[in-house]
Amino acid sequence: MNNLILEVNDVAVAFGGVKAVNGATMSVEVGSVTSVIGPNGAGKTTLFNLISGAIKPDSGTILFQGFEIQKLLPHKIADRGIVRTFQGAKVIKRLSVLENLMLGAQNNPGDNLINFFNPRARNAFEKQARERAMALLKQVGIERFANDYAGILSGGQRKLLDLARALMAEPVMLLLDEPFAGVNPTLVEKLLEVLHALRTEHHLTFLLVEHDLETVMNISDRVVVMAEGRVIADGLPNSIYENQAVVDAYLGTRKLNS
Amino acid sequence: MTAILQPGFWVFILTMSGIYGIFTLGLQVQYGVGGILNFGHVGMMALSSYTMAILVIAHGFNFWIAAASGVAVAALGGAFLGLTTLRLRGDYFSIVSIAFSEIVRYVIFNSDGLTGGSQGSLAIMPIGDAYPSYTDTWDTILYWIRDHLTPIFGEVADRDMAMGILVWITLGILLFIVSRVERTSWARVLRATREDDDVPSALGKNVFRFRLQAVIIGSIIGGIAGIYWALQVTLLSPDDFLTIVTFYAWMILILSGATKVKGLAIAAIFFGFLYGGTRFFTFWPFSVFDASQRSYMRIMIIGIVLIVLMIRRPQGIFGKREEMVLE
Ligand SMILES: Nc1ncnc2c1ncn2[C@@H]1O[C@H](COP(=O)(O)OP(=O)(O)OP(=O)(O)O)[C@@H](O)[C@H]1O
Ligand SMILES: [Mg+2]
Repeated sequence: MNNLILEVNDVAVAFGGVKAVNGATMSVEVGSVTSVIGPNGAGKTTLFNLISGAIKPDSGTILFQGFEIQKLLPHKIADRGIVRTFQGAKVIKRLSVLENLMLGAQNNPGDNLINFFNPRARNAFEKQARERAMALLKQVGIERFANDYAGILSGGQRKLLDLARALMAEPVMLLLDEPFAGVNPTLVEKLLEVLHALRTEHHLTFLLVEHDLETVMNISDRVVVMAEGRVIADGLPNSIYENQAVVDAYLGTRKLNS
Repeated sequence: MTAILQPGFWVFILTMSGIYGIFTLGLQVQYGVGGILNFGHVGMMALSSYTMAILVIAHGFNFWIAAASGVAVAALGGAFLGLTTLRLRGDYFSIVSIAFSEIVRYVIFNSDGLTGGSQGSLAIMPIGDAYPSYTDTWDTILYWIRDHLTPIFGEVADRDMAMGILVWITLGILLFIVSRVERTSWARVLRATREDDDVPSALGKNVFRFRLQAVIIGSIIGGIAGIYWALQVTLLSPDDFLTIVTFYAWMILILSGATKVKGLAIAAIFFGFLYGGTRFFTFWPFSVFDASQRSYMRIMIIGIVLIVLMIRRPQGIFGKREEMVLE
């Protein structure tokens, strides 16, 4: 019908008295990079939690590839191809870095207990997945920690692990919550290249939350601006500078490259 | 004091250690891998042993079918416990699990017609006018083994020794299987759920399913321990399944270092000797107390030894210390 992969329609959720997301409507086009910006506490992470199923909306609908997903459990949503990273990164500290990545592998026969009796299938899958995991670790530059506990990684390294693990799942759409905050500039550039390649080669769709406006302007096809749980603007990157509400809520007097 | 010198006593201790080892292995899968705090594990042992005893004594079932049914009922018990409570937060599961095993025990205690009630399996109404025993098939095997041991061990070879051997073979096989299972990606996911639900779910893993499976597998292993328990004690009583039994298994698990199966057998023997050995603390200063006071003191001594061990070696005998300090 259209080329929208994700449609968020008038979604709302409140925690006690806090209306974290308060009637947000937005959409994402297939194969695009869409960035969500907005002040702290605007509801960006909550929106991600809603899309990924980690929390359920009080009202509104979320459609992914035309299917309603707002009532699905998180793992069902992940099965459909939406994979997310976490703000500040989440790693399983008592698994090795490589094992963390292996968690991302989809349709692993070894996840099914029946296949305990089918070691050949399990081992073949593991071997392939491990090679892919090592390649991803190399891409994000933490391959030398592959066999260390993820708990020893620094904050920035954890973000790289979180990202690599999400990529390991071969998503259709990737939700990245501040993927570049706290990552050094040269690596950010390298990661952007990796993401760009994924986009052109695998037609991956990106939805990301990012505070660094320069990066946002450079990589986004569309920018969604949130404030106080609502979407206050949605448009081409440059158009948001002309939006008075956005300037008031978020940008202040800042100007790009000035 | 003479019992301490007799090999039969130590064979008995080793056999009980082995049964406790099997029993603890069930907890190891649940807690060591899945981080699930089950304090009602003994309930699974109660379910399997009583199911087996009732089927054999009251319904004349073939022992093997009865034993398999017992283990299956333990698995169902685990499934029931898991399905009802595992979706709640972890601490709720722990509390409900204790209640579960206590309810099982109370029901056994109060169902005279079915379980023999407070009088135990001896009071189960047998089919025909047979003696209410469920060990006949097993005894045939034990005596066959004993007869083959006599040329080697002479007088020392007896039913208990044969039992001990079978128990330890079973524990060995189960340890092998479980250590293999714990190397699968299934166990890797379960290990992740021990720390966090969000990451595995965001990667498409049904955390609930993995936890439920862990509880069921643990219950099956607990059920197997229950069958051996029944065969070892030969008469079941509801008092065999007090919550303290679960905590003995917890002691063994903590001693061995919960995350690896490697140390479990040794920890079980250590516990067995501690438990059995303290029975002989009849000398001064223990001689000041009477027998029942001494039996409480044994538990205290075991507790103190464990506390000291925990302080000196919090990761258990074989656990990895690094795993405990990661932030
Ligand atoms: N689980 C929760 N319970 C209670 N309040 C919550 C919860 N999650 C979010 N909130 C509240 O909802 C509001 C939006 O939070 P959210 O994390 O979505 O903001 P954000 O836009 O991601 O901000 P930041 O840029 O700082 O990451 C905040 O006021 C926050 O305190
Ligand atoms: Mg946020």
